[in-house]
Amino acid sequence: MTTTLAGGRAARRQTMRRIRPRRSPAVPLLLAVWAGAAAVLWLWWDNTPSIADQNGKILNAGRITGLLAGYLMALVVLQMARVPALERRVGSDRVARWHAMSGRYTLCLVFAHVFLIMWGYALQAGKTLNDIVQQTVDSVNQLPDMGKAAIGTGLFVVIGLTSIGPVRRRMPYDTWYHVHLLTYAAVFLTFWHQITTGNDFALTPMAKTFWYGLYGAVTALVVWYRILTPMRLNLRHRMRVEAVIEETPGIVSVLIGGRKLHRMGAEAGQFFRWRFMAPGMRFSSHPYSLSAAPRPDMLRITVKAIGDHSARLRELRPGTRVWAEGPYGAMTASRRSRGKVLLVAGGVGITPMRALFETLPGAAGDLTLLYRANTTQDLALWDELSKIAKERGARLMYAVNSPEGERPDISAENLQRKIPDIDDHDVFMCGPPGFAQGVYEALRGAGVPARRIHHESFEM
Amino acid sequence: MRKTHPIRRVVLATAATVSGVVLLLSLKPSSDPTSTSAAGAAPSAAAAGQASPQGGTGTAGATTVDGDATQTQYGVVQVRLTVAGGKITQAQAIQAPKGGTSDQKTALSVPQLNKETVAAQSANIDSVSGATYTSTGYKQSLQSALDKLKKASASSSGSSSSGSSSGSSSSGSSSSSGSAQAQAKTVTGQVAQTQYGPVQVRITVSGGKITKAEAVQAPSGGLSDQKTALSVPKLNQEAVAAGNATIDSVSGATYTSTGYKQSLQSALDQAGG
Repeated sequence: MTTTLAGGRAARRQTMRRIRPRRSPAVPLLLAVWAGAAAVLWLWWDNTPSIADQNGKILNAGRITGLLAGYLMALVVLQMARVPALERRVGSDRVARWHAMSGRYTLCLVFAHVFLIMWGYALQAGKTLNDIVQQTVDSVNQLPDMGKAAIGTGLFVVIGLTSIGPVRRRMPYDTWYHVHLLTYAAVFLTFWHQITTGNDFALTPMAKTFWYGLYGAVTALVVWYRILTPMRLNLRHRMRVEAVIEETPGIVSVLIGGRKLHRMGAEAGQFFRWRFMAPGMRFSSHPYSLSAAPRPDMLRITVKAIGDHSARLRELRPGTRVWAEGPYGAMTASRRSRGKVLLVAGGVGITPMRALFETLPGAAGDLTLLYRANTTQDLALWDELSKIAKERGARLMYAVNSPEGERPDISAENLQRKIPDIDDHDVFMCGPPGFAQGVYEALRGAGVPARRIHHESFEM
Repeated sequence: MRKTHPIRRVVLATAATVSGVVLLLSLKPSSDPTSTSAAGAAPSAAAAGQASPQGGTGTAGATTVDGDATQTQYGVVQVRLTVAGGKITQAQAIQAPKGGTSDQKTALSVPQLNKETVAAQSANIDSVSGATYTSTGYKQSLQSALDKLKKASASSSGSSSSGSSSGSSSSGSSSSSGSAQAQAKTVTGQVAQTQYGPVQVRITVSGGKITKAEAVQAPSGGLSDQKTALSVPKLNQEAVAAGNATIDSVSGATYTSTGYKQSLQSALDQAGG
């Protein structure tokens, strides 16, 4: 059974919009981050008149790494504060990769800081590197707020270990996620020793104010965008499951009803993090893309049953309350810079492509959708796509394995043959990582510049 | 969708960080022209200990006695007591451990130990937790100062050696200390109140020139310890170099600098008149 959810007024309005590409604010943001790091180093530089000996060098190396770690820690938390400018303009996927990268780097700085400072203190007390453990115990006991900092650092060790690739893959997502939430506690616990024992903050009241400001601002953003904004969204829109529909074997659509859903500001190509208030599902939220342009009374997601969570979606009962956070994601019409657009979908990656196919502004002949699946049976939402293609005068192509199981050839040559002016297209792409990598290379081979290939990847 | 090279990224990040830190460290000079050996966190550490044969120098109707310098694991501790009317009116550490954690420990413990000493009037004071070594050293030096004081009053030579008349320390006094070098005159300026505490400057004038400047009182406690440690040695040097009270304020310690200059000016007025 299939469902059609096309032709909403909101969707039609979106197709009328003009093409206005918006630049991602990534470059100015990165420049600001570097400027902040330079300011932090300057703070150290200004407060350190001289370094007397080897021991001083070790201690000062510890101070530099500590200051940088404290600065970056705030940014690592900020990256996950779900700030709209990051989620919708830079892109949730890119921000998540930044978060992972800077998180790893920051933890390395934290550990280097602990080691260097304790080594330096041991030397200062006339001991050697071998006494570093005893020195650490002494410092934790004697210096203000160091007990808290030690607990926080212990939490960081646990968080770091559970986030190492192989460990994380072997862990249930929910466990990992809840361990990861301990980061907030760890950051809180390690914050205070920075203020009370940090030389630079004791010597420079301005720096202390700035530090409180930085951490205060990040806390405010986290509270606002991770707690208050979703609460307001869900109180206003009161979403519930309307129906669950099996599209093809293994792929289900969940229809979600609610109040004034068009007011959520969701665009085609975006996703929400969904939490279904059903047994075993209420404690974790999962990102699923909208598979149709939002209607005032209805949203739809389409999901392939691959994980625990997605398999359970099938059993959702109508009337189940839904808690959503979003909309997130930057793969929307505003990424586009040209008149012509090619949408490439692999498997269940059709969901955001289906919504974009319906709503991307364009005249007849501007839009092309290439849909890759294993067999024609797996082409979920095909009826809807055909209908949209007919109404909008768009091209719809599919590529499936041959009856012998041979993969279709999506190469630069083939793409060029099918779409001769492919290098004049913007390309939106969604699919599993291997597929996306292959298509990306074929597209580059066919002359599409990288900046016009829009893709979201949640691979770390 | 560009290919990522995780290993290359790790190597680059590590190399960049390590070389950045090493570069920063190597750009710093190895000795500081502005800080003196007295840059401990104790406020009075700026005043170098100058003990008379009896261990006492007189100021303003009060006797000061320096205890023995006591070695601790983290550095030297030396206590100076100001005694007036047979009572300890002030205790200060003229030497205390410094550098790294020691700065913090000293800042944490010395003001408290000073207070306890004045309250207890003996060496029977509590150690400051977290600064056991410093506390122990402090108590030893304190005991030796008390011993000297006892000996001095027994021979009744300690208190009489101070030839001053003025009672209140805030009135400002000029006294030729018995222990001072020939022709050198020690003048103590008026106490200048600042937002963070009193500042009082003592200068030694010889041949019409300031040969030495020190702060006998300076703000202490919390941040003030660090600011005092930061600014007072600098101000002392500036005063000697300038020979007058038109010296630069130390940035980050404006109140202390202003108070210092006021007290210095009053000391100069007294020395001149």
